[in-house]
Amino acid sequence: MATNIQILCRNIFKLRIDHVVHSSSFTPRYRPPYWYSKKERQGSSNEHLTRDNIDFIEEVVQDKNTNQTNLKSPLVNISPQSIQPWTPRTRRVGLIARKIGNYPVWDKNGKKLQTTLLQVVDNHVIKYIPPEEYKPMISKNHWKEKPTHGCLLVGSETIDPTTVTKDYCGLFDRVGMLPKKYLYRFVISPESALPTGTPLFATHFRVGDYLDVRAKTMDRGFQGVIKRWGFKGMPASHGVTKTHRRPGNIGGGGEKARVWPGTKMPGHMGNRWRILRGVKILRINTKHNVIWTLGVAIPGETGAMCYLYDTILPLRKLQTTPPFPTQPPTDDLPLEFYDESIHRFENPTLSFEEM
Amino acid sequence: MVLAVRKSVEWGITAAKLFVRRECRILSTLPEKQEYAEKQIERAPSGRKSITKKSILESRHIYPEFLPDPNPNWRNSLREKLEREDMLKRRGQVEIPEFYVGSVLAVTISDPHAQSKTNKFVGICIERKGCGLRADFTLRNVVDHQGVEVRYDLYDPTIQKIQVLRLEKRLDDKLLYLRDSLPEYSTFPFDMDQEILPEGSEVPVNPIQVVLKPKPWVERWERQELKGIANIEEYLTEKNKIKRELRKTPWEKYDLMKQYRKTIPIEDQKEIWTEVYTQLHQLQSAQKKMSRKRVFTSPKSLLA
Repeated sequence: MATNIQILCRNIFKLRIDHVVHSSSFTPRYRPPYWYSKKERQGSSNEHLTRDNIDFIEEVVQDKNTNQTNLKSPLVNISPQSIQPWTPRTRRVGLIARKIGNYPVWDKNGKKLQTTLLQVVDNHVIKYIPPEEYKPMISKNHWKEKPTHGCLLVGSETIDPTTVTKDYCGLFDRVGMLPKKYLYRFVISPESALPTGTPLFATHFRVGDYLDVRAKTMDRGFQGVIKRWGFKGMPASHGVTKTHRRPGNIGGGGEKARVWPGTKMPGHMGNRWRILRGVKILRINTKHNVIWTLGVAIPGETGAMCYLYDTILPLRKLQTTPPFPTQPPTDDLPLEFYDESIHRFENPTLSFEEM
Repeated sequence: MVLAVRKSVEWGITAAKLFVRRECRILSTLPEKQEYAEKQIERAPSGRKSITKKSILESRHIYPEFLPDPNPNWRNSLREKLEREDMLKRRGQVEIPEFYVGSVLAVTISDPHAQSKTNKFVGICIERKGCGLRADFTLRNVVDHQGVEVRYDLYDPTIQKIQVLRLEKRLDDKLLYLRDSLPEYSTFPFDMDQEILPEGSEVPVNPIQVVLKPKPWVERWERQELKGIANIEEYLTEKNKIKRELRKTPWEKYDLMKQYRKTIPIEDQKEIWTEVYTQLHQLQSAQKKMSRKRVFTSPKSLLA
């Protein structure tokens, strides 16, 4: 009897809270505005601070800011011999970028290509978590991350530390960085780990490579069946009454006298994470860290954040060694990189006489 | 709360004052036809600074595509800057002259499918739209009794040459009604000579009114308050006239917020023009030097 209780206790102690996942899938929905006035967070108002205190805080923040901007990339101290070589199975770190708009470029055959501009804003490595310590929350039926992969936290856009909570600030303070507005984790191979404080630039990717872009789609709210699923609707006239944009029948009779799971119906559209795979890089600006990608299908509106990875599509994967583990900061880079197929605007007018 | 209300009221008053002073005119990209006389009087006594300021803001008529789309959801200062840099780079390679809707242009493009690898088209510009590198214009001509329209991207690198054969404006912002008018109004010979205006003169407005063909039409022209159509009344039924009256929106010219949303604020415009003005001016002067070398031909009478 006692042994049974011991076994039971042992098993209960083995249970870990961070392994338990409530299997509730996130469903975006309309959240009505909260009509009561919002509670002020304590310490957010500067009323109890004197002028001197405010000045002092500003001074400290400014000092920290200047320290961070003057920080040299720790990659310089690492000798290239100590870095393990890149293999096709290696997973590199990605980038956090902002979608800043679309405009056309032309290729050398005179064809107009629509591009999306992604700006890589102030990306820094925050922390590396080795595979032994990296334990993400995994549900049973979810695809399991291999334990051979570590995790790299990358932050984007430095913000004023007085505007964020103490917990969030502490996350960065422990590694000696200023808090970032956006924080994201990239699952990487241990050999592509980077030291804290390494800046990441747009030249982490090369022109002609392909990207996977993860972003949130535009929020379209509660939509009907025509906009959400592309149903045809019913005619405007010919005796049709009150069913012009309705879905019609949603289930059969007999044994399946119910609505089957997965039936296309009205509901919330957009505001979901989606990955667009295999987007080609056409042009890179090294001064402003802007990447031009082919096509206009990158999810989200202008100004939305997105995450860039090396593509996993088998035919568009990296073939040659990319900048590994990342591009070290150098001054002698050209201002712009262009894909071979793209016409530069400063080049003379296209002519097809030799063809 | 009270403060906020006060602020908003103050702002409203200042905005109203601005518009009362007719400064809203400065913001709009639409051509100012009735104000030419007033401006000439104004210009004489004004100082040097105001002239330069005005001439900077004048460029919005000559280079309308340098102003971005006013929709705030699509705006981004860095993207606009990169776009402007690319536009200037392209303008350094090909001469993109000043032209307006109603001007007659000759465009030569390189075409891999043509026998001589180039293709020339002459026609009247009936529409000019788009911002930044997306800017485009449409040329219309009648070739072998068949109306032809070609849309060109202004910054397409296959454009070898854009030549303004006749520089003038028309009474309307878009001449799409030429599709429904008699063919002689949109017929231009391909071997048309270039008409050169005397230097320093203003761009003339051609007051010609076109004659429409009977219905069916492409659009309901009677609802658009067009000045360039001579005989629209004879084709309208009673019902058309009643509907036209019902569809009129005379209050819209007093809708200050609508005008504000459709235009780029004056502060932004100044920033943009000061950024590109020197380069554009250099390009323009270089082009003028080139054009002086060309042979002078006497201008023909309007619509010969």
